[in-house]
This record gives sequence, C-alpha cells and structure tokens, in this order.
Amino acid sequence: MIRLGNVSRHFRRGPDVVKALDRVTLTIADGRFVALMGPSGSGKSTLLNLLSGIDRADEGDVEVAGQRLNGLSEDELAAWRSHHVGLIFQFYNLLPVLTALENVELPLLLAELTADERRRRARTALDVVGLMHERFAQLPGTLSGGEQQRVAIARAIVTDPDLIVADEPTGDLDAKSADAVLALLSELNREFHKAIVLVTHDPRALRWVDEVHHLDKGCLLEGDEAVRATESLEQALGTARVGR
Amino acid sequence: MTYATLLARNLRRNRLRTALTTLSILLAVFLVCAVLTLPSGLAAIVDRMASATRLSVHNKAGIAYLLPYSYLHKIRAVPGVAAATSFMWFGGIYDEPKNMFPNFAVDPDVVGAVWPDYDIDPQTLADFQRHRDAALVGHRTMRTFGWKVGDRVTLRGTAWPVDLDFRIVGELTKNPVWFLFSRVYLEEALRAKGQSADFSGMMWVRVAAADEVEPVMRRIDDLFRNSTAETASETEKSFYQSFMSSLSGLTRIIVMVGFLAVAAVVFIAANSSSMTIRERAAEIAILKALGFRRHTLLALLLGETLLLAAGGGIVGACGAYGLLKLLAYLGATSARPGLGPLSMFEMTGTILLEGIALSLVIGIVAGVIPAWGAARKPVAAAVREVF
Repeated sequence: MIRLGNVSRHFRRGPDVVKALDRVTLTIADGRFVALMGPSGSGKSTLLNLLSGIDRADEGDVEVAGQRLNGLSEDELAAWRSHHVGLIFQFYNLLPVLTALENVELPLLLAELTADERRRRARTALDVVGLMHERFAQLPGTLSGGEQQRVAIARAIVTDPDLIVADEPTGDLDAKSADAVLALLSELNREFHKAIVLVTHDPRALRWVDEVHHLDKGCLLEGDEAVRATESLEQALGTARVGR
Repeated sequence: MTYATLLARNLRRNRLRTALTTLSILLAVFLVCAVLTLPSGLAAIVDRMASATRLSVHNKAGIAYLLPYSYLHKIRAVPGVAAATSFMWFGGIYDEPKNMFPNFAVDPDVVGAVWPDYDIDPQTLADFQRHRDAALVGHRTMRTFGWKVGDRVTLRGTAWPVDLDFRIVGELTKNPVWFLFSRVYLEEALRAKGQSADFSGMMWVRVAAADEVEPVMRRIDDLFRNSTAETASETEKSFYQSFMSSLSGLTRIIVMVGFLAVAAVVFIAANSSSMTIRERAAEIAILKALGFRRHTLLALLLGETLLLAAGGGIVGACGAYGLLKLLAYLGATSARPGLGPLSMFEMTGTILLEGIALSLVIGIVAGVIPAWGAARKPVAAAVREVF
C-alpha cells in the first residue's frame, strides 16, 4: 500500500519558490498498475521520486509498504530503496562498462548473497523479461533500445521489490518496442503482483494500467477534471490507432 | 560481478587517461625514491668508510691549512695512540685534466696499522714499503682507468709542481677511489725542485681502544694549543660527515624538487579524478538511486584513484629499487666501472615502502575531494541534475 497524505514539495529557483507538488493526497493499493500522467512540469516525476524514496517531502506524509519515509535519513532511505523499490528510467541508464547480466547483478551487490546466487538471480530476471541468452554477455551499447529497456526492467525486478517505479519507460522507444515494454510491465504486475507506478506521456499506457492519476501544476486532478483528462487521452489513443 | 569487477571496468573505461595518470604517478614516485637515497646514500658511504677508532687531525683553521710534519712524531707519542700517518693531498691527474681522483702521500710503514680494516695483505704492504715509487689504488679507480697490479702510471701534479711515476703494487678492496703512495717519494721530488716538504695536510690517527677516542682527541688538541698551528681532532665519521655536509644543501634542494614534482602530480591526478567523476555523474546518480550508500560510493570512487596510484607507485618504487641495484651491480663488477657515485646509492626496503606509501597518499589526496563531493551529494539533487 502506498499512502501520500497532504504531500508538498517546493523548490527554490533563484528568488522564486516553485511548488512542484502542492498538498497531494493519494492511495495506491498493493499490486496495482498505476499511471501518473500530466503535462511537463506538472509534478509527475517529483511525485515518483517521493514515493520511491529518492526525494523527501517538505510537508505531509509518505508511507510505502508499511514504512513511513519522512523521518528516514539519506542512508536509511538508500538502504530501504535497495530492498523495496525497483527503478526504471527513460534512457535505461545502464552502466556502459558492464554487460547486460552484470548490470542486472549490480543492485544485488547490496544484498547479502553469494556471487553464484547473484548470477543465478540475474539470469532468472533476464529470462523473465525475455532477453535472448546470447545478449547476456553483451555491453549495453551493442543492444537495441528495446533490449536495453528489458535489461533495465530486469535490474528493477531482480531484488524482488514491493514497488516498481518507471519514469517515462517508453519515452525513448519506437511504437513497437514501447508496446512490448508496456506489455511486459503489465505481465510483471499480473504474474508477480508487484505495484507499478508509471510516469508517462504515452496514451498507449491507458490500455495496460489499472488506474490513471492526472497531475497539473503540482496538484492531483479529481472529479470531472480527472475524467475529462482521461477522455482526452482516450481520444488521442483512438486517433493514434486510426493513424496506424 | 563484484565490486572489484566494477573498479577494474571503470579503470579500463578511458585507458589512455588511466595510463597517463598512472605514468605520471610512476615517474613522481620513481623520482622521489631516487632522491631519497641521496641522504641515506651519503650516510651509508660515511658508515662504510669510517672506523670508530680512527681520528682525523687537521689544522683548526680548516683542512686547507697545513700542519707541520713534526707534529706526527708528537702525536705518535700521545698515550692511547696506536699508529699515525701524515696525509698529504697530491692533486695528481692521469693523462687528462678530467681524470682527477683522490691521491695522497702517506707514511708506508704505518698504513697497515692505521687502516687495519682495509685488510691489505702482508705481501702487498711489504711491497708498498719496499718500493719508494709504490702505489696502492682503490678498486674503482683501477677499473676506471683499466689499471692492474704491476702497471706503471704517471700522475701530473696540480697541487705540487712535480710529476711522479708510480708502480702499482696492490689494490685497495675496501676503499674504492684512493691512490696512496710514499710521502718520502714526494719529499724527494719536491726537494729536487728546491721546495720544502716539512708539512702535512692532515694526520690520520688510530686509537688503541674505542673508549680512548675522546681522551686522545683532547690530549692531541691540548698538546698543540696556543701553537702557530692549533689542531682540531675529530672522529673519522665526524670528519666525513662535515665533508659531506657541504653537499647537504644541494641534497635538500634535490629532495625538495622531488616533492614538488609529487605535488604537481597530485594536482594532475586530482584533475583526472574530477573529470572522470564529472563524466559519470549520471551513473553515480543511478547507483545512488539503486540504493548504494555514500560510504560505498566514496570507497568505490576513491578506490579507483587509489588503485591507479598504487599501481604507479609500486612500479615506480620497484623500478627505482631495481635500477639502483643494477647500477650498484654494474659499478661493483667490471661491466661499467665508470658509474662513479651513481653506483654507491642503495635504495633500502624502507625507502621502497615509503615510495609505495607516498603513492597511496597521492591517491587519497587526489581522489578524496572529488569522490567525497560526488558521494555526499543527495540522491534527489544528483537525479534532478542528470535526468
């Protein structure tokens, strides 16, 4: 369960204070596949950073998987993230000097596992995301965008986290690869009952997620505003389907 | 995959930069190890040459001033003195002016008694005393000029207006450079030119027992107090140390230059480390987001600089050790006899370890600020900066 209660996050830009999030209250049940949508600068990524323990709220409470994150120090948050959160980024952000398999092993260095066990789990994760075995020993630079994102997803699930957060995971992919990645995330959600929170501009996500939350200017849209935003996206998705 | 794999892969990321940084550290450590052998090398030379029971007696005004030769007999009569010889610098050169080396006129009958530690065999000593033109020559000087026992050589005087022909009767195995010959031979040559030879540059005195050294020095100096040529007695070690101290200023400057080179290398390595870390800001942000804590990241980033510095340091220090050993070997054998003092500087194990420790200090100093800066940055700020 993810609970955000009256959460605000402000940033100082020169003399101005920007309200990236303003008194956001949100609850996400376990095992849900959720999309956070909204225009650029609406606060989606800030919200994602707060519920993944990367950032801390200025006001309000953030509770994820039974852990209240507000009071944790930087190092405590790091330790918590390493066990409870899997992260997926738009540009994959794999370490270019490590092979696909080694990139997936990387978060397991923080767990008390033997080298053999780390390798075994990393192979399993890569099998789950469907990367071909002959790609395991390749460096990220030699993989396609879709393959790199699969490796990034494997890296996010290898620690068996309670929550997977994905920031624009399809933003750098072609339509086919984007669909494949969304399908994979949906499958992980269904098969392993992992809560997945996705930040995206991509209306295709509507076909895969259980619920959508819209943000605008740091506020969560509710009621009619939220319904209109979803309808607008569905229309865009319909247009896209006709276009294809 | 282990942390070591991660370290190794990161070091191989930009091989040219890694190689150049390692090379700069290697050269700095090599240089420092080499110059650190200077003071200890000079001290080792003094220790090797000096005897605990041998004294130098010279003019109190300085070694450039002479002493009356008659002092020798008075010194020999001082209680506690086992043997004493006059010691006169001849300043002879062989063939060309550049071939100058230390050659001295001594009293042949007491050479064995004054320098018993030189282990000159009795037959050689007998030959040295029997022939008025006999010479005993240090092993390195012998090899430098390609001389052998039985050769006849001529030295052209620069301090005295005479040229002298010598027959080499023996080699000094415990003194590398000296060329000793009979004072009587020099006296005769000077008298033939109408010059007096009733003086000596200094005297070497051997004391019968180590605990007699201090009293004997006092007795000798008291003996000539208020005379026209007062004496200053000192142990052989002290004499050589004061002689070598004239080089200490230069040695200090050389050592300082060595450490300045190290300081320059620290800046080069720090710059290299900063660039590496800046280029990897996104990766470091990812590691933080994945849950790597500050101390782990600090250890990883600092570990890279340390590994690189230690690699350069070990090769540099071992290289200096090996090179100086090689020079010592070549100098001690007939392979390259002309190496001179270069072959006398030995690098100790302590200097080797100091060189390696220095490289670790270079690594820490160069790496700690950029690594700490990257490690301590909050994950949110790091993520916001790069995504």
